[in-house]
Amino acid sequence: MDAIDSVFDPLREFAKDSVRLVKRCHKPDRKEFSKVAVRTAIGFVVMGFVGFFVKLIFIPINNIIVGSG
Amino acid sequence: MGGGFRVLHLVRPFLSFLPEVQTADRKVPFREKVIYTVISLFIFLVCSQLPLYGIHSTTGADPFYWMRVILASNRGTVMELGITPIVTSGLVMQLLAGSKIIEVDNNVREDRALLNGAQKLLGILIAVGEAVAYVLSGMYGSVGQLGVGNAILIIIQLCFAGIIVICLDELLQKGYGLGSGISLFIATNICENIIWKAFSPTTINSGRGAEFEGAVIALFHLLITRTDKVRALREAFYRQNLPNVTNLLATVLIFLIVIYFQGFRVVLPVRSKNARGQQGSYPIKLFYTSNMPIILQSALVSNLYFISQLLHRKYSGNFFVDLLGKWKESEYGGGQSVPVGGIAYYITAPSSLADMAANPFHALFYLVFMLSACALFSKTWIEVSGSSAKDVAKQLKEQQMVMPGHRESNLQKELNRYIPTAAAFGGICIGALTVLADFMGAIGSGTGILLAVTIIYQYFETFEKERASELGFFGF
Repeated sequence: MDAIDSVFDPLREFAKDSVRLVKRCHKPDRKEFSKVAVRTAIGFVVMGFVGFFVKLIFIPINNIIVGSG
Repeated sequence: MGGGFRVLHLVRPFLSFLPEVQTADRKVPFREKVIYTVISLFIFLVCSQLPLYGIHSTTGADPFYWMRVILASNRGTVMELGITPIVTSGLVMQLLAGSKIIEVDNNVREDRALLNGAQKLLGILIAVGEAVAYVLSGMYGSVGQLGVGNAILIIIQLCFAGIIVICLDELLQKGYGLGSGISLFIATNICENIIWKAFSPTTINSGRGAEFEGAVIALFHLLITRTDKVRALREAFYRQNLPNVTNLLATVLIFLIVIYFQGFRVVLPVRSKNARGQQGSYPIKLFYTSNMPIILQSALVSNLYFISQLLHRKYSGNFFVDLLGKWKESEYGGGQSVPVGGIAYYITAPSSLADMAANPFHALFYLVFMLSACALFSKTWIEVSGSSAKDVAKQLKEQQMVMPGHRESNLQKELNRYIPTAAAFGGICIGALTVLADFMGAIGSGTGILLAVTIIYQYFETFEKERASELGFFGF
């Protein structure tokens, strides 16, 4: 029983700390969330399409390079 | 302590040989930073598409399949090594300095220069080592087939690319760009991967005839060409072995969840002892260590996979080798191996609900492993990266900051109430999100999405700061 307690006590303590942390946290409201979401989505799409188009352009180029190689 | 011999001094003779980017000696305008960043990114992307000259084949099993997304590497191209050399050397130096194996006094200019030089030198050595290992291990066909000349050529190409990445990252770090090159390359690689899987025009022959690889393209193609719209829709949403619309929706969902949790933070009020008590705040985020736990956990798993596959190929049947992992060719082709036994199997995500039901112990083990590993790595990372409660308290003290209502000596104690818990619990949340993403079949893997979102989020924070300071000058 002592052995089990020595394992579970830290876990229980950690869980309690985590709950307190989450309660204490400032959480984003709808406006803040949607602002960040939109901006991150834009960044995501811009980065993604830059890579996408470079890849698209290089497919025929690579076919030429590898074909002659 | 000037008396003792110091490890860092070993680096001094090499400093003059290392390629170096001069620190920006003037304030680089924001627009110029954007241009430098974009150019660096473009160079990286082009290298990611250039095929290696002299390789015989890339059809063998790819032992690095599992970590290519995270390390921004692409099979069979000049950027085969990706950012592995620079990330590895960075982690190693961080661990050495953080754990005091190497003594570094950050207040001494020479020490910082030596540390940077050591990291760069290590990066180059790792690039050379990895390039040689790639060639000798038969990644591009056996050395006998390649010939010595081609083998050397391949090694030179890989090393050169490794050095380019190191220099690009240094360029951005030295004030010419925004943020770090490593983060930029990882995020772009992941975003590209996801967009490609959504919009790829490549066709692949399956049992149902030619199909588009991209999920969105396939959706429209199926709806247009099939007479049975309902079946077409179902296939677009649930088709196997290729990206489908459900995967895409899962990706979006994970994206939104991560952004929401990014906003969680405990805001501690701080006040300056000078400047007439200027008020401020010190936020402690729930994701205190950001994406670091997932990077470390993935690196651990990937290395385990690599070692396990290597051993399995040579010594399959041995008890300990089988305990580590048993592998077999993926039935879906592509040259991938999948773990089917041993530790490697149990730390791999179950592929489906059916798989979970068939082996609940596997699912449970995987879950516990993910959460524990992320929590432990996160907690450890704050110690070695200098962001523990003690380090933060020291920084605030140096900046003459105090917390209202607390004596100076209690600052660390107050921080200790939040920082270790935020690190560990944040790590667990990261792990849980990764598991959730993988289980839902999100494109690009849970790890990848988390990395991309957290990196882009950081970029916008950097962006905001840069613009705020710029607006004061030019109103850009």
